[in-house]
Amino acid sequence: MTRTRRPGISRRSTLALMGAGAMTFAAPWVARAQAKTIKVGMPTILSGRVAQLGTSSRNAVMLEVEKVNAAGGLAGRQIEMVIRDSKGQPQEAARVARELVNTDGCELLIDAEASSGAFAVHEVARDLGVFCIHTNSETSALTADPKQHIPNAFRTARQGVHDSIVGGSYAAAIAKAKGLKKWATCSPDYAYGRDTTAEFTLYLKRFAPEVEIISESWPKLFQPDYTEVVTKILQAKPQALYSCLWGGDLTSYIDQANIYAMFGQMEVFAVNMADYTALTVVKNLPKGIHSGNRYIKTFPTTPENAAWGDAYKAKFNEYPTNWSWENATAIMLMAEAAKKANSADGKKIAEALKGLTIKCPFGADGTVTMRGDDHTLVGYAIGWGTTIPQEPYVPEIKAGDWKTIFELEAEWKKSKGYA
Amino acid sequence: MTEPEAGRAQTLVPARNGAALQRYRDVLIALIAFAVLASLPLFTGSKALLDFVIRCSAYGLFATSLNLLVGYTGLTSFGHGMFFGLGAYSFGLIMQKLGVPIPVAFVATLAITAVVAAIIGAICVRLKEIYFAFVTLAFQMLIHSTILSWASFTGGDQGLRGGIPRPASLGIHLSNHVHLYVTSCALLILGLLAMRQIAQSPFGYTLRMIRDNAARASFLGIDVWRAKLTVFVLAALFASMGGMVMALFVSGAYPEFAYWTISGEAIFINMLGGVSTFLGPMVGTVLLLLLNDTVTRFTEYHGIVLGVVILFFALGLRKGLLDFVAEWYAHRRETGEGR
Repeated sequence: MTRTRRPGISRRSTLALMGAGAMTFAAPWVARAQAKTIKVGMPTILSGRVAQLGTSSRNAVMLEVEKVNAAGGLAGRQIEMVIRDSKGQPQEAARVARELVNTDGCELLIDAEASSGAFAVHEVARDLGVFCIHTNSETSALTADPKQHIPNAFRTARQGVHDSIVGGSYAAAIAKAKGLKKWATCSPDYAYGRDTTAEFTLYLKRFAPEVEIISESWPKLFQPDYTEVVTKILQAKPQALYSCLWGGDLTSYIDQANIYAMFGQMEVFAVNMADYTALTVVKNLPKGIHSGNRYIKTFPTTPENAAWGDAYKAKFNEYPTNWSWENATAIMLMAEAAKKANSADGKKIAEALKGLTIKCPFGADGTVTMRGDDHTLVGYAIGWGTTIPQEPYVPEIKAGDWKTIFELEAEWKKSKGYA
Repeated sequence: MTEPEAGRAQTLVPARNGAALQRYRDVLIALIAFAVLASLPLFTGSKALLDFVIRCSAYGLFATSLNLLVGYTGLTSFGHGMFFGLGAYSFGLIMQKLGVPIPVAFVATLAITAVVAAIIGAICVRLKEIYFAFVTLAFQMLIHSTILSWASFTGGDQGLRGGIPRPASLGIHLSNHVHLYVTSCALLILGLLAMRQIAQSPFGYTLRMIRDNAARASFLGIDVWRAKLTVFVLAALFASMGGMVMALFVSGAYPEFAYWTISGEAIFINMLGGVSTFLGPMVGTVLLLLLNDTVTRFTEYHGIVLGVVILFFALGLRKGLLDFVAEWYAHRRETGEGR
């Protein structure tokens, strides 16, 4: 047993290698941002199943940032966006957000993550104290729950509970007018689907107490085949159906339900129908599906909104999505707050943003407000209408009443122990 | 540190001395590694580098623990991620709901993991090869579904919200970035050292025998089922430690931690780094995280890049990086001896 290995050399070279490795690592991380431009970091989902929505978020942000930069930037500093893919994984979202702040020198964050990713980035904002606007998470608890509240985080997305109040009251009015008593629901089996459906039926029954739910279906998220769901609903013979399926799930569901001529047999309320990602993909869009507005350039029916939708389409060759307007609004609010504070400093922007009302193409009355006490967007356009098979797809949308929303939202917060 | 090197002892007495020597050497290496890692914050202010090492600790513990099953025992688990998720969730929930000191939550989480792993393991380790792989995968999906559907307790698909409280205990403030970093390094080094001891112990060699020829091990009077179950539980404990480090890093726990893709990542790490050397998975972890972090900076088509890398390792090297290096080194030495 001879030992031919000479001890020492390999260890020394290993150490040298480790040292060299550490240097190559550290070098780019030492680089700091230039003082003149301000870097804004944006983790979002650019790959996988919902990549289309992430891309539409990026598009909308770039569209608005160009305008802000042309007008002089954030308090005189040009915005440089640093946009990274999180793959829709919360631990990646957290890592990317930390890296954007710690390594790339981003001073502000636009968090374009959905569901759990948004909560992960929220913890990063809590930890690092960096200014952050959540643009895509509709989960009410993100801003409604006082435990989540931090002074540096805001939300410019619509909120689940707002949608349910408006949807419930709209559906109840139709239920009363047409005598729809037997209802079925069909929603994806995860927190968003369960919560939204529960809140919708809560408000539906509140406004129309005679309604009863006779059948519930919970298809899996991203389920390819809906045959058993469709036949189950048809057998139950409801007068109306509620669904919060979205995106590809909703379009495959409609295509498959069309085979059974389902849409002639009951009134259908699909909250996520009126979004171009669904409207333009369905093969035969049935007439008369009730839907909440997501993004549609004909609601609000203002020239500003139509112009914004057209400008987006001209630049990116597709229509904006629900996530697009939410992200565009974030940049608009940020720019306005920076102007008011006359500073691009995150703390000062946050202070100026509280309670700020700005002119905005997506406002119900031409303005939107960042509510001061819970840091969430209010006053945005929200309403329901029915579909037709061709453009403008949802010709008339009945706007929701923000006064009712505020009253019922306050009540809901109390019932949840949030207020 | 390759196996042939370790298995070269010829007679019993020198073997014992050799084993003792090697243990001292391992402890020494561990101490040096810890000293180097722990002193890193003195030389660099880069938080990103510290973040990187924290994530390496979480994934490194997880992937190395999988190698105890795959490389040493020949049990290819497709569901090892369930213990990563279980660790993250148990720790997060205990801290959020009970507010006990962190070390208590740490030990309690290990205890929970041990019980769950013993129950799942008792069912799984009776099976071999593809059957074992698929039953572990099934249990993983069961745990994942439970996390998703038990929304009132686990937060469902939104994960554990509101952050994990990190009160100071024993003078360690885990809400401080450097403290968290040093703690993660310590857990990594302690975990690796413990796993190394397991791998080099007589029990570790029993596992290798079971891997190579379970029937012979059985004829020699070894209770194969018990040995497999023991290593299954031990591996789960270290995976759970990795999960806890990850939960501390992101200050939350998410259902993705218990999803099959996490197990897939660990298997991928093992393929990248190699399974026949102890530090292979650790090398694979650093490689994968480096690749991931650099590639995602430049493109959203990272899937293509990672795919090409897998192909390179699977078709080109036909083994993990450290395996390749170790074999190349052994080959060079042999030809050197021949001259």
